[in-house]
Amino acid sequence: MDLDALRRKIAERLATGLQTEVWPRAGTGEEVNAIVTRLRVEAGDDLDRKLVIAGFTDHTVVAEDMPQPCETCMYYKVHARFCDLPELMLPVEPHWSCRLWRI
Amino acid sequence: MANLLWLQGGACSGNTMSFLNAEEPSACDLVTDFGINILWQPSLGLELGDNVKTILQKCISGEIKLDIFVFEGTVVNAPNGTGEWNRFCGRPMKDWVKELSDAADFVVAIGDCATYGGIPAMAPNPSESVGLQFLKRAKGGSLGAGFKSRSGLPVINIPGCPAHPDWVTQILVAIATGRAGDLTLDEFHRPKTFFSSFTQTGCTRNMHFAYKVSTTAFGQRKGCLFYDLGCRGPMTHSPCNRILWNRHSSKTRAGMPCLGCTEPEFPFFDLNPGTVFKTQTVMGVPKDMPTGVDKVGYIKLTAAAKGMSPKWAEEDIFVV
Repeated sequence: MDLDALRRKIAERLATGLQTEVWPRAGTGEEVNAIVTRLRVEAGDDLDRKLVIAGFTDHTVVAEDMPQPCETCMYYKVHARFCDLPELMLPVEPHWSCRLWRI
Repeated sequence: MANLLWLQGGACSGNTMSFLNAEEPSACDLVTDFGINILWQPSLGLELGDNVKTILQKCISGEIKLDIFVFEGTVVNAPNGTGEWNRFCGRPMKDWVKELSDAADFVVAIGDCATYGGIPAMAPNPSESVGLQFLKRAKGGSLGAGFKSRSGLPVINIPGCPAHPDWVTQILVAIATGRAGDLTLDEFHRPKTFFSSFTQTGCTRNMHFAYKVSTTAFGQRKGCLFYDLGCRGPMTHSPCNRILWNRHSSKTRAGMPCLGCTEPEFPFFDLNPGTVFKTQTVMGVPKDMPTGVDKVGYIKLTAAAKGMSPKWAEEDIFVV
């Protein structure tokens, strides 16, 4: 599946009610490590599990007064519209969000 | 001719190994070109046992003029402040250090252990290790906050794990050739000529830092190591990317995050699991900002820079 098609598929999954773990956000390094470990162990190549564990949303989440869109995240590749976190490696949209956001 | 004596305390000998790799000038150049007479050094000295002790005693008594006393490794105080865990020539090393420092014109601490305590002094510090004049950021150490050698200078600290060989030899040459007066030290007694700029200064990844493109795994040539892999280059004072290692590279150029080993707090976070090679964040924002940058400014700068990053910044431009 090409990246545009995969991006559309993800958008559809998020729009049609896939319940993801949006909260709690990864507030500390330990919480980040715990979520990343879960992605490695529980998700693997399973798309839905990746979306659920990372807490994907098709809109920007604001946590502690800070908007957390993909477009400002360090893992986001602007021109490819792609999440470069090795445990995710997914096409995304700039206004989406997940709880592994880091700036 | 300047007499130099080099001793080791709680050390791994890494700074001696580094010193022996010096090139500009080399360890041999110190002797042949710059008039340094190495009285004794753990890896170079020919004397053993009582003959070493005699040299030390003559330095303390003044029979041999001690121009430069170099110390590598921590000053060990365990157990219970006695220093008995690190005996040398029949007595605790800490006692030799005190008396030799009082006798020397200049005292130079080489490496992070001798300067600030380094790895041996991290919690719970079972060896009760301290640096010569600091314990981490706190002034004092083994010789006390007010210590000054006969020249009037405090301990000259050349930190690093290890210190770059040329930092060591160039400072020794400056002292031996009567140019110690040109040395200006920062608040942690580091020569400013080496420790005013940052490790990031000269890093080949600076363009990725500017455009906020992150390295996400070891071995990648693209991306900045600060954002995810815990690189401390933007807040560590060292010339590692100006005076290159082995004359051609550095940690960050090779894809290895800077560990901040020239700063008093090294090793950061006491090497707790999950803190090494991982940028520590609070709600996604780095705990430790590049020096001089505040959180609000950092967030604004990041959003703007990322938004305008060029396509090439996201690719590996080093592929031929």
